Amino acid sequence: MASRDVVRYETPLSTAFKWLSAIFIAIYVVWTVLPIFIMFMSSFKDLLEAFKLPAVGDWGGIMVFFDFTPTTKHYYELFANLGFTTYLFNSLVAAGGSAVVSVVLGSLCAYSLSRIDFRGKSDLFFWIISTRMAPVVAVMVPLYWIFRELDLVGTLPGLILAYTTFNLPFAIWILKGFFDNVPYAIEEAQMVDGATRFQAFRAILPLVAPGIGAFIVLCILFAWNDYLFAAIIGSGGAKTLPAATRELVQPQNIQWGQIMAAGVVTTLPMMFLGLVIRKYLVTGLTMGAVKE
Amino acid sequence: MAGKSSSSLELFRVRHIPDSVESRPVSMVAAEPKSVNPAASKRYYFLLMAPAILVLAFISIYPFFWMIYMSLHEVDIGKAEWNNFANFTRLLDDTRFLSGWWLLFQYSLMCLTLQLIIGVFLAVALNGSRFEKVLVTTLLMPMMMAPLVAGMVWYFLYNGTFGWYHWLLQSVGILGPKSLLASSSTAMIGIVLVDVWQWTPLITLITLAGLKRVPQDQLEANMVDGASPLRNFLSVTLPNLYPVLLIAIMLRFMDNFRFIDSALVLTGGGPGNATKILPIYLFEVSFKFFKLGRGAAIALILLIVTIILGMLLVRIFDRQQPSKV
Amino acid sequence: MAKVSFRNVWKKYGTTPAVKDLNIECPDGSFLSILGPSGCGKSSTMRMVAGLEHITAGQILFDEKPINTLAPKDRDVAMVFENYALYPHKSVFENMANPLKLRGQDATVIKDRVMAAAKLLEISQLLERRPQELSGGQKQRVAIGRAIVREPNLFLFDEPIAHLDAKLRAHMRGEIKHLQRTLGTTMIYVTHDQLEAMSMADTIAVMHEGELQQLGTPREVYNKPVNAWVAGFVGEPAMNFVDVGLQDKDGKTYFIHPNFSIAVTDQQQHIIAAAARVNALRMGVRPDAMSISLVKPKHECITGKIFVTELLGGDMIIDVDLDDGSRIRVKTSTDFDGVEGQTCYMTVNRDKWHAFSKENGKALF
Repeated sequence: MASRDVVRYETPLSTAFKWLSAIFIAIYVVWTVLPIFIMFMSSFKDLLEAFKLPAVGDWGGIMVFFDFTPTTKHYYELFANLGFTTYLFNSLVAAGGSAVVSVVLGSLCAYSLSRIDFRGKSDLFFWIISTRMAPVVAVMVPLYWIFRELDLVGTLPGLILAYTTFNLPFAIWILKGFFDNVPYAIEEAQMVDGATRFQAFRAILPLVAPGIGAFIVLCILFAWNDYLFAAIIGSGGAKTLPAATRELVQPQNIQWGQIMAAGVVTTLPMMFLGLVIRKYLVTGLTMGAVKE
Repeated sequence: MAGKSSSSLELFRVRHIPDSVESRPVSMVAAEPKSVNPAASKRYYFLLMAPAILVLAFISIYPFFWMIYMSLHEVDIGKAEWNNFANFTRLLDDTRFLSGWWLLFQYSLMCLTLQLIIGVFLAVALNGSRFEKVLVTTLLMPMMMAPLVAGMVWYFLYNGTFGWYHWLLQSVGILGPKSLLASSSTAMIGIVLVDVWQWTPLITLITLAGLKRVPQDQLEANMVDGASPLRNFLSVTLPNLYPVLLIAIMLRFMDNFRFIDSALVLTGGGPGNATKILPIYLFEVSFKFFKLGRGAAIALILLIVTIILGMLLVRIFDRQQPSKV
Repeated sequence: MAKVSFRNVWKKYGTTPAVKDLNIECPDGSFLSILGPSGCGKSSTMRMVAGLEHITAGQILFDEKPINTLAPKDRDVAMVFENYALYPHKSVFENMANPLKLRGQDATVIKDRVMAAAKLLEISQLLERRPQELSGGQKQRVAIGRAIVREPNLFLFDEPIAHLDAKLRAHMRGEIKHLQRTLGTTMIYVTHDQLEAMSMADTIAVMHEGELQQLGTPREVYNKPVNAWVAGFVGEPAMNFVDVGLQDKDGKTYFIHPNFSIAVTDQQQHIIAAAARVNALRMGVRPDAMSISLVKPKHECITGKIFVTELLGGDMIIDVDLDDGSRIRVKTSTDFDGVEGQTCYMTVNRDKWHAFSKENGKALF
């Protein structure tokens, strides 16, 4: 049948636009990639080499950027002497733990919300979503107080619970949309065939499993990348990668090589996970409001 | 759509334009009968909901009441004393509190404007391009980065003695020897650029998703009606994009209130108070000076304003119902 | 208003041809219907006229002027889309005013023209509404209104009433035809519904798999289909096809079948004789070109067994099984009282039967 694109006719204006967009895209891609590239390269540079810069206006001097002997000593230093193994472990446990708690509880809740109607349901919804919208710093003030009373500050369970403040409402909200798309008729058919309600619920899980998997990953991403909770609630015993990276900044002596290496360690796994769940990324980052 | 409880927030969800045409007027479409769950089984569903709701209550409602309690007291380690609303009254002549709002507003507005203009243009340029997939994947990279790490990397780039971006800005002649972050007149631009770098791709992705859903037949009808490509973009594509753009604006606006990680490492609110947007000020009051009572008062106001803004935007969104034709 | 000519027009998507070497002349002021099943290339054809698809090869001309490279806005055509393609964010008035506005007309002119068109289509009371508040039939009128507010070279209607319910569709057929006659503008109307094409068009172009099968008036297409495919596509209930052998006896040619042996007319005999070396044909008879009876008539007839009878209000359709496993349908009056399993006898109106080549489906008569 008809082609999927709207036809375009060449006019001087459209040609100009085509060139303009191409140039714009090229510039934009450079601008996007450059900081990450510099971070990556600098993590392999010795301190002095990282500070090498051409004179102002010396465009030919740009090549000094590539003039270095790669070294992995920063990475070695991070894991061997600066305790990044522990911080990596903390990050994994805190992010993974909160993701699993949020998605497991969230999917049960989302499923139920999607299946029944009751008075005040929309208010419940608004409460759930506003929990997610709340500024992290604002939430943290009372949470810090409560957690201190309960001796949760500086512990991994405390951090997991703190991350659950934004991951659980997110999971409920997003997963409800997923369950809404599963027709109730499938469960009815299961129950007619003799399944219990819970068996019927289990029967539809495979239908939403890819989504649930993707949102576990997204919850990990949100938690992993958090700094504020980690810095305050996790301070002391539950330092995560971003918090530890921040602490590499000492007033006297900023270890840029190590910071860049820590940045790479923090960023790479998430970029990889981002690629894995590419399909669900926009849905996740827009709270389910936009689907690709 | 029909048969679901519809709060205005339900609009948050995607409503897509149906492929087939509804031949009855909308008002005549009866609510689709929902499968009837007998009342007894409701208990079962509430049971499934309970754990999540309880956890959420513990980490959201309970702290909320604590926040109110704290905001009314002089809070110190281990004790709290009633202080006659002093936490609030003192805010009235706290210049950093007031300028915090103003700076937050400036910051959000600058971020949003730049992100929208660049993001939408980028999406339009990318849409249907041969390299769309590869390029979009490339654009995802900054979003996956912890905002703190992004802040650190940019801090490095802005550095007055060894930062490559500083060198670039100097070489082009925009900047003197003083780094972008070191001067109170430009520091705001510095933190805005980082936010723009990190989050413009989100606007682009959202816009691209919206562009894919602009009904082709409307574009074609307009072309036949006599529209030029530019005119077609303005009068068909753009109105069809409004709903998704509103979502994008709302999300970014909220996030500017929510996250301060990168600004915190870039300037920490300085130089002076030039970039002390309200959340940073709140962070300082609460966790640097440990004035948790005052912090709670500021937090309460920030929270309420955020939620009101959220509701407002949802309301606007409500009116912008994307149509089904 | 314009004459539209297709000269060796091709459309390919990648390497897949959608329209193959199309040649049609559509005179000024006439109503051309392009008829075919989905995927036959009819929509591609129309979209090439509108400028919504590039023309792969060949030329389309308006009044002998090629329009291949013109953008839609420069072709001065008006189109009604299958899904109406109304602008949801604009009121009915603004929707209809859009083409005039884009052409820079005065506000007063726009108002007059829209009002006049709305009056013609009886939607004056809807002008303030938004498309989503309208029913399907109303949307469809608005879409037509948007097309007729100006005086284009050409109207293009792409299955405009396919989504309406049966009753409304029947009503709109009449209205669209009347509209075209009133305005006198050339119209190309794409449809998959042979009834729409038959009832409205001056000329029908039947397309199948990208190729033009037959171009002719509704009568020609119905009465003189050029091949078995057109014969089978046009007409409801569809034409019956039965494979028959040929036999010459006493100077006459007979169609031979286990259930019958019927002589063809003299004229038809000449045609068959002219076609060299045929000894088998596919006979085609429309259900209404036969009469059925339970009493064996004296003249030659087809004998069969009733499979099922269907009452369709004023008529009856009888499905009859033949011995070679084929089944034919006959239209008759409701007086017929045969029941399933009964033997029945069908008399064929030999002036209205058809014969097609078994190799390529081409019609002999």
